[in-house]
Amino acid sequence: MQAYTWADHRLFPTQEGALLFGVDHASLFALDSRARDTLGRWRSADPLALEDVPEEARGVLEELRDAQVLVPLVPHRRPRPAAVPELDPAGVPLETLVLEVAQTCNLRCSYCYAHGGTYGGTPRLLDPETARRAARTLLERSGDRRGVTLVLFGGEPLLNFPAVRAAVEEAEAAASAAGKELTLSLTTNGTLFTPEILAFLRDHRVLVSVSIDGPPELHDRNRPYSGGGGTYGDVTAGLAALAQWGIPAAARVTLAPRQWDRIPEVFDHLLGLGVREVGIAPASPVTPELLPTADQEEDLLRGFRTLAERFETEARQGRCLPFANLLDLLGRLHAGRAKGAPCGAGYGYLALDADGRYFLCHRLAGEEDFAAGDLETGPDLEKLRSALRAAAAPRRELCAHCWARRLCAGGCHYENHLRENLLGRAPGDSCRFIRPWLELGLRLYARLRAEPENPVMQRIARRQEC
Amino acid sequence: MMKQKTIQALNEKARAIERLAQGEAKNVEALSGPPAMPQGCTTIFDTGWETNPRPEYPVGNCQPSARDYSGCAGDCWWPAQVPDGLTNQKVFHEDCLVIAKDFRNLKYD
Ligand code: SF4
Ligand code: SF4
Repeated sequence: MQAYTWADHRLFPTQEGALLFGVDHASLFALDSRARDTLGRWRSADPLALEDVPEEARGVLEELRDAQVLVPLVPHRRPRPAAVPELDPAGVPLETLVLEVAQTCNLRCSYCYAHGGTYGGTPRLLDPETARRAARTLLERSGDRRGVTLVLFGGEPLLNFPAVRAAVEEAEAAASAAGKELTLSLTTNGTLFTPEILAFLRDHRVLVSVSIDGPPELHDRNRPYSGGGGTYGDVTAGLAALAQWGIPAAARVTLAPRQWDRIPEVFDHLLGLGVREVGIAPASPVTPELLPTADQEEDLLRGFRTLAERFETEARQGRCLPFANLLDLLGRLHAGRAKGAPCGAGYGYLALDADGRYFLCHRLAGEEDFAAGDLETGPDLEKLRSALRAAAAPRRELCAHCWARRLCAGGCHYENHLRENLLGRAPGDSCRFIRPWLELGLRLYARLRAEPENPVMQRIARRQEC
Repeated sequence: MMKQKTIQALNEKARAIERLAQGEAKNVEALSGPPAMPQGCTTIFDTGWETNPRPEYPVGNCQPSARDYSGCAGDCWWPAQVPDGLTNQKVFHEDCLVIAKDFRNLKYD
């Protein structure tokens, strides 16, 4: 007689019944009320023999078995490790390289994590020769990856256009020699475009992200020039120039906790400026003042929830509201991709600073605990390993018991580092926000799924391929 | 009579799991015909002659191999040559009709 046991799952009640999320597979099922009630009654029976279950419940339980929510109990099998597995970065090919082209900036954003673009050092520029070398290295280390991504970052990368040009040209040559697809992207504050730069970005199909935080008064408070004075006028002129040159731009918004109650307004303002997509990032708590209160976290969720509702309304008409955070989440939920690591940092994703030193990611550049070798000697595997291990350790227990562990896998290392090491917060400080956000996405996905022909659903399905 | 379904797979992962379950049901049906016998023996992919008599996946494989399938797909520690049926090649049996010859068609990505 086969005995069964319950695999880790989470139920989200709905009007029709419930959504069932299979924790380990990141699978999502809809249960009708009968299935929900049957599951509720039998959930505490563990182990469970299907033969002993009355006829009327057995059908549902068999369906749950097919959904791998009820799994065979194998006496001698090692118990399923609940924690997020520790992946070894060894042998993971390089896929994305972020170049800190200019570790300096002409702005002084109030929330900047890079200390005015310098990442805590003296202002400096990547020299074009190093940029070329880095671009070649990306291709050389990309193993069997069909495509690679070069990100031009800073500070403000356009303060060092010679290195941008060098990196792009070299990467293109190396990619075409290797027969690989190259994606180029550039994140800029949008104040330094010249016709020469615009022509270059257009001709080389560089994807441009412009940091802009919303209406003038808000934007200028967040993003002033280093000599003082607002940048809103110049950034919007930059966006207009991009549009004129036919370069599609995405807006990257960063908001301090006290601005989180203005999310829908900020979003609308940017759409009005004609950007292709808007992504909204809560500012990282680089100082204690940027650590949100519980009320502010609620504001953030409320803002995202409002945008999600609007996304749904638009989707029902077959239109896609270009809210990047949500599109990314829906794409991941659609695939049901179970993550073994929170992000690519250290696994195929590395940043190289202006001195040619590797760090786990762009935001961790300059943090010695996350340094991992240099361009000369290559990424230092041991350092990558120990940095990743140390980053995961404080939350390991916590995440092992969390239903979201395969979607979140512990959250952003940088965010955790700030909260736990700099501000002394307990591990898991961001979970209060992460889990409701994921639940919001799951519920929205399930509702949209009811219309599989909807063009927005198809766009979401395509998105996770990119 | 078709049973009324009470559970609906929503995302791709859930659908893959559902297909896996349907695949198993199909294999059970396959028992009514003659089982597909393995050809040859003892390469790492081939199995012996004592074919799996149980109505379980993989029908027609030898018993040790059949045990590997049920024991090692999923969370088992053993790095078996078993596509895990979820993230790998769901239809590996279609792409590898004669496994000793076609094993290169297996894609573990
Ligand atoms: S939400 Fe928190 S506990 Fe859950 S996986 Fe993410 S970091 Fe870990
Ligand atoms: S550590 Fe954070 S900032 Fe860095 S790549 Fe991961 S998620 Fe992004």
